[in-house]
Amino acid sequence: MDLALTEPQEMLKATARAFLERECPRQLLLELDRTETGMSPELWGKLARMGWLGLAIPAEYGGEGAGLLDTAVVYEQLGRGPLGGPHFSSAVLGALVVLECGTEDQRREVLPRVASGEQILALAYTEPDYGWGPESVKLTARRDGPDYILEGVKLFVHDGAAATHLLWVARTGQGPDPASGLTVFLVDRAEPGVAVRTLPGFMAGLCEVRFEAVRVPRRAVLGEAGTAWLGLSRAFLRAIPVLCAYKVGATEAVFELAVNYSQTRVQFGQPIGRFQRVQDHIIDIVNHLDAARWTTYEAIWKLETERPAAASVHLAKAVASEGFYRACNSCHEVHAGIGVVRNYGLVLYTRASRSLYNYLGDPRFHKRRLADALGL
Amino acid sequence: MDFELKYSPEQEAFRQEVRAFLEAHIPPDLEEPVDPADLSYEQYLMRRELGRKLGERGWLFPTFPKEYGGGGLPMELAVIIEEELDRYGLSLPPFYNTGGTLGAPCILVWGTEEQKRYFLPPILRGEVRVWQLLTEPGAGSDLAGVKTLAVRDGDHYVINGQKTFVGSLHGADWLWTIVCTDPNGRRHENLSWFMIPADLPGISMTPLDLLMAGGEGGASPGAKYTVYFDNVRVPAFNLIGGENNGWKVATTHLELEHGGAGSIRRNRIVDRLIEYCKTTYRNGRPLSQDPDVRDLLVECYIDAEIGRLFNLRNYWLRHTRRPRTYEGPQASLHRKVSGLRIAEAIVKALGPYALTNDPTWDPSGGHLEVFHRASIVATHPGGTIEIQKVIMARRIGIGRAVREEAGTVV
Repeated sequence: MDLALTEPQEMLKATARAFLERECPRQLLLELDRTETGMSPELWGKLARMGWLGLAIPAEYGGEGAGLLDTAVVYEQLGRGPLGGPHFSSAVLGALVVLECGTEDQRREVLPRVASGEQILALAYTEPDYGWGPESVKLTARRDGPDYILEGVKLFVHDGAAATHLLWVARTGQGPDPASGLTVFLVDRAEPGVAVRTLPGFMAGLCEVRFEAVRVPRRAVLGEAGTAWLGLSRAFLRAIPVLCAYKVGATEAVFELAVNYSQTRVQFGQPIGRFQRVQDHIIDIVNHLDAARWTTYEAIWKLETERPAAASVHLAKAVASEGFYRACNSCHEVHAGIGVVRNYGLVLYTRASRSLYNYLGDPRFHKRRLADALGL
Repeated sequence: MDFELKYSPEQEAFRQEVRAFLEAHIPPDLEEPVDPADLSYEQYLMRRELGRKLGERGWLFPTFPKEYGGGGLPMELAVIIEEELDRYGLSLPPFYNTGGTLGAPCILVWGTEEQKRYFLPPILRGEVRVWQLLTEPGAGSDLAGVKTLAVRDGDHYVINGQKTFVGSLHGADWLWTIVCTDPNGRRHENLSWFMIPADLPGISMTPLDLLMAGGEGGASPGAKYTVYFDNVRVPAFNLIGGENNGWKVATTHLELEHGGAGSIRRNRIVDRLIEYCKTTYRNGRPLSQDPDVRDLLVECYIDAEIGRLFNLRNYWLRHTRRPRTYEGPQASLHRKVSGLRIAEAIVKALGPYALTNDPTWDPSGGHLEVFHRASIVATHPGGTIEIQKVIMARRIGIGRAVREEAGTVV
C-alpha cells in the first residue's frame, strides 16, 4: 500500500500548479468566464503545448499516453483554477469516445488533431428527456442512400459552442435493449443545418445543439453503426474519475478560500474562524474534500490496475459531485456578502459545482448504478 | 498509488505461520457475543490466554521494540497478524485493553528508560490488562479540568477522587490514569499520568447502568464503572512523563484515541444490512428491491466506504510517519456521525424490526439492535462529535492564533 504520488507525478503536479499560477491568474479566469467558450485561443495553444490536450490519448495517436492517474493529477490542478473551457469535453471525454468507438483510421485522423488543439470535440448525447443512460438517447438517424440524415435537439451539451466537431449520438436501430442500436456520428460544426446556442443562466458552457436535416456520409459513423454503447460506457467509466479529480482540486481551492478568509476577516473584534459555527462550515468542506479525494483516487487505482471498478467509479462521482456542490455552499456561508461579489472568484467555483453536477450523470443516477453494482 | 496491502513470499510465509499459530491457540469454543455485555468470564479468560500466547512471540504489540516485549516487526507483518485475527472476529489485542494500547505508546514516548523497562514488558506480553481512566463527573469534554488529586508524600503520591465511564467487564490489573498534581497551577500545566496497580488499598468501583458501554476502539468493553480513589498511595515511580507535564502526554494518548492510529478493518454492519435486505422478504419481494430501501442502502454503503478510506489513509500516514493534522479526529467524527445516519437508515428501511433482538422476529441475530444502541453510545467515547470538530478546527489552523500540532505517536 502506498497512497503517495510517485516522484514524477509530484513533479507533474508542481508543474501544473505553477502553470495555473503563472498563466491563469484570477483576473484572466474572470475575463475568460465572460466569454462564450470559457477559453482564449492563446491559452488553448499553451495547454496544447504543455501536452495536456493529449493526456488521455495514446502516443501512437499523437497524444501523451499518460496514465489515468497522471491525467487526474493535472486535472486536479486545473480544477483548482478553476480553469473552464472545453479541455475535458474535448481532450478527455471526446478523445476517449473516439478511441473507444472509432476505427483505427478514425483514431489516426482525429486524435492527433484533438491533442494539438486544432480540433475541439463536444459530446452531443443528452436530450430534453435528460439522462445519461442508454435509454435516454431517443433521437434517431435516418438512412438516405449512402448518407445519414441527423435531426433533432441535443440539450445541455457541454462546451458545444467551443467545439469544432460534435460527437452526435443517435439511434440507428431499435430493439428491446436500449443499449443496442446506438451510433456516434462525428459531425463538423460548420455543416449546414447545425445550430449551437449557449444557454443562459447559472451554468457555464452548456448548450442547445439543434440539427436540422444535417446530411452526413457513412464515414461520419464512428466505428460500426448500432454498437456504440459499449465504447461509450467504457469512455464514460474512464472519463468520470478525471472529472472527479477536477472537482477534488476545485473543492480544495474552495477549502483554502474558506480557511484564509476565516483567518483574516475580523468581526466582533476577532477573526471569524474563532466562531465554532464558522468552523463547522470549514470542517464540512474538508470532509467533503477528503471523501471526494480518496474515493476518486481509489477508483482510478482500480481502473489502472484493471480491477473491477464500476462500483468505485459510481461511488466517486456521487461523492465528488455532491461534495463540491455542498463545499461551495459552505464556503458562501463563511464568506457571506463578499462571496457573491463576482470579482472575488468564489462564484467561479460555485457555478462550476452546479454546471458539472449532472455532467456524465448526477449523484442520484450514480447511486442507482452503484446499487446495481452491489447486486441490490 | 496503491490502495492494496501487498505481500511478498516471505510475508505470505509469515501469514501461514500466524494462521497455524492461531489455529493451534484459538479455542474452538471461543465465540464473539453479539452484545459485548454478554461476554462471559470464561470467554474473557480465553482471550487473555490468547493474548499471553501472542505476547510471548511479540505479536500482541507487534510494532513495539523487542527490548520491551514487542515484536519489533514492520507494519507489513503487523497487518498480517491483524488480518488473521480479523478472520476470527478478533482485534489486536483480543481483549479490551485501552490503557495498554493507548498507555503503552505514551510510556514509550514519555517514560524514562527505567519506567519503560518496568511497565512495558507486562503490557506488551499480555500479562496485564490495563484500563484508561480519564473522564470524571466534572470533566468530560474538558479533560484538562480533571480534579482527582495526587499529592506528593515522600516517595509516594496520595490520590483522591473519582473517575467514571471506565473499563470493561471482568476487571483490570493496572489503571492508566490522568490526575491533577497542582490544583493551583495553570491550566494544562498541572496534570500528570500514573500507572496504578488496580489492587492498591483505597480503590473501589461501582458499575454504571448504561444503554450500552461505549468502546474507545479495539475490543468492546461490555461494561463501564465509576472508580473511587480514597487515599490511594502510589509509588512516585509510577508517575509517567514528569509531574505537571501530563497534558503533553495526553496529546499522544488522545491523538491515538481520536482516530490517528487508523485502521485497515472494515466495519461490517453495512455488509450485514445489505445481506439482511437481500434475504428478507416483505410483501412478496426482497426488501432490497424496494426502491426506497435501495436508496437508503446505497447511502449507508457510501458512508461506510468513506469511513474505510479515512481509516486506511490514517493507517498509512501513521505507519509511513507522514505529517498529520486533522485526519485523526476527521475519521473519528465520520465514524460517529455516519453511525447515527446508518442506524437511522436501518430504522427507515426495516421499521420496528430494526429495534428487536427477538430470536423469532430478528433474522440478524441481534446485530442490528446492538448496532442501534452502539451508534448512540459511540458518539461520546474518545471525545464527543463536537470535540472532534474543535480539534479539527485547531489542527486546520482556524480558531486560534497558533495552529495546533498533532500529538506525538510512534
